[in-house]
Amino acid sequence: MTSSRASRPTPARATSPSPTLGPIATAEAADGSFDVREFARTAQGSQRAAVDLDAIREHGLPAEAIRLVRILRDLERSTLTRLRNLLVTATHKDGRVTAFLVSWAYEKFWMADALDGVLEAVGEEAAGPDPVEHVTKHFGERMARRGPVARAIIGNIAGEQLVAAHVTTGLVDEWIQQAAYRRLGEIAGALHGLADRFIELKQRHVRFLAEEARRRLADSARARRLTVKELKQSVWPIGATRLSDDDRGFLARTVFGTAEGRAEAGRISEVLATFPGVGSVAPTVAARLTP
Amino acid sequence: MAFDIDKYTAGSKPVAWSDIDLEEFERDPLPPETLRVLRYMCDVEYHTVCYLRDLLTTPSYNEPEVGAFMTMWNREEFWHGEALAAVLGKHGITVDFDELKSTRLKLGWKDRLDPIKQSLLGGMVGKDFVAVHMAWGAVNEWSANAAYLRMAKLEQHETLAVLLKRIGAQETKHVAFYASQARERLAESRKAQVLTRFVLDRFWGPVGSTISEESEVKHVMGHLFAGEEGRKLIQDVDSHIAKLPGMEGLRIVEKSLDKRGIAAEGPGYVPAQRVAA
Repeated sequence: MTSSRASRPTPARATSPSPTLGPIATAEAADGSFDVREFARTAQGSQRAAVDLDAIREHGLPAEAIRLVRILRDLERSTLTRLRNLLVTATHKDGRVTAFLVSWAYEKFWMADALDGVLEAVGEEAAGPDPVEHVTKHFGERMARRGPVARAIIGNIAGEQLVAAHVTTGLVDEWIQQAAYRRLGEIAGALHGLADRFIELKQRHVRFLAEEARRRLADSARARRLTVKELKQSVWPIGATRLSDDDRGFLARTVFGTAEGRAEAGRISEVLATFPGVGSVAPTVAARLTP
Repeated sequence: MAFDIDKYTAGSKPVAWSDIDLEEFERDPLPPETLRVLRYMCDVEYHTVCYLRDLLTTPSYNEPEVGAFMTMWNREEFWHGEALAAVLGKHGITVDFDELKSTRLKLGWKDRLDPIKQSLLGGMVGKDFVAVHMAWGAVNEWSANAAYLRMAKLEQHETLAVLLKRIGAQETKHVAFYASQARERLAESRKAQVLTRFVLDRFWGPVGSTISEESEVKHVMGHLFAGEEGRKLIQDVDSHIAKLPGMEGLRIVEKSLDKRGIAAEGPGYVPAQRVAA
């Protein structure tokens, strides 16, 4: 194939970012619920202007921050794998959820692009990682790696209530990513603005997923059962199975390994426990996050 | 010519209609037979996510260029659905997310089995299967583009024409991507050519025919492509397909019209004179 993004050294956009960043609308309907159409309408494109190239050049970035950026970029870029896993189940039938996913994927594409911009600024190769060769690990790990056929079969049996599990695990994943960006801003002052912007962008994703999760879990015992099962099995963050063991260990240590990180994992567990019927599994989720 | 993915992603945005005076549809509404076609088109656009799902079960999405395109393409098609829904809304036809859900629920077992079938096929055939998807996508985008431009011309409704031409302009870019991908992949592999030709010839049906009732498919095809002028456009689409490596002589779109008894001659659909025009 010609002109693969991965094979080119530096895209032209790295030096010519979009001049301004749009304000991030709250996407709140008059009744306080999340307005998916407003979110779609105000989805944010290129984030390269949020990359403070001057600060990066002046202060440089610690090696730890560069590695974290690369890992977060790879996770943002695994969107299509995530979409595939959701769309082969009944989740693809829900017009409101798919309307959300269309813009969610778009925003994540551009977040990955901005992180490419950071890596280029410090002279790192922007291309994605080589696919990781894996050995089969514990059950949850194997489940996280299962292909579309297994997912479609399981998803067809589980039916529509599986959407609750997808939005809830998606929600936990967004919280983890927000924690990771918060940590990135702490270890690299030059990336503070970028990290804050991404946390704010993700807050809209959080609001949609939280609203969907709460409603669906409250509505159905079957949804609660499926969600508890999925939360127990999940490997965090979603997409981590595509990272090397070294990178996964580094991510867990850097984001959740400090005292503040452990407190952050505790907060995720506390908030998750406020959702209907999943309280029992919340401590397991927190325990999985910390190294 | 290779498709410039960076240029495409940087320029990708929702089709704009805020500057178009939709109130015009209240003063000069579209006739019911046209609204029926628009409704079909709107459903097709919103259902792009189902087609994306099938693409994602093949090895193609792991390539950065393909992944980048799919993200933008899916979003642009979603916005085509929104734009058409806005026009339908001006005629008292509401297309909301809950209704889309009920359409998708009606898809039933075929829809459930599709990703499994596609993955298994993709797994068995491997990389060559991506060529099938790309050629299939190219045919769909060529015919969608022809449909929008035809409708813009047929209806003689200035406001509608502006919107449809904007949608058509985005479809042209989608055509460019799919066709360049298909061309390259087919040129590289004889096996991909044989497989693609077989699948297109045996299984291709008009865009939307898997999610809509046959009566609707027939109405839309007849409305847009009946008669000499419409047939000529469809022959043009077929001639584009036939230029792809290994696809010489394929006439799949024309055959789909013949199968539905759509007239190849005569004037085709002629809109009634507009009152307010």
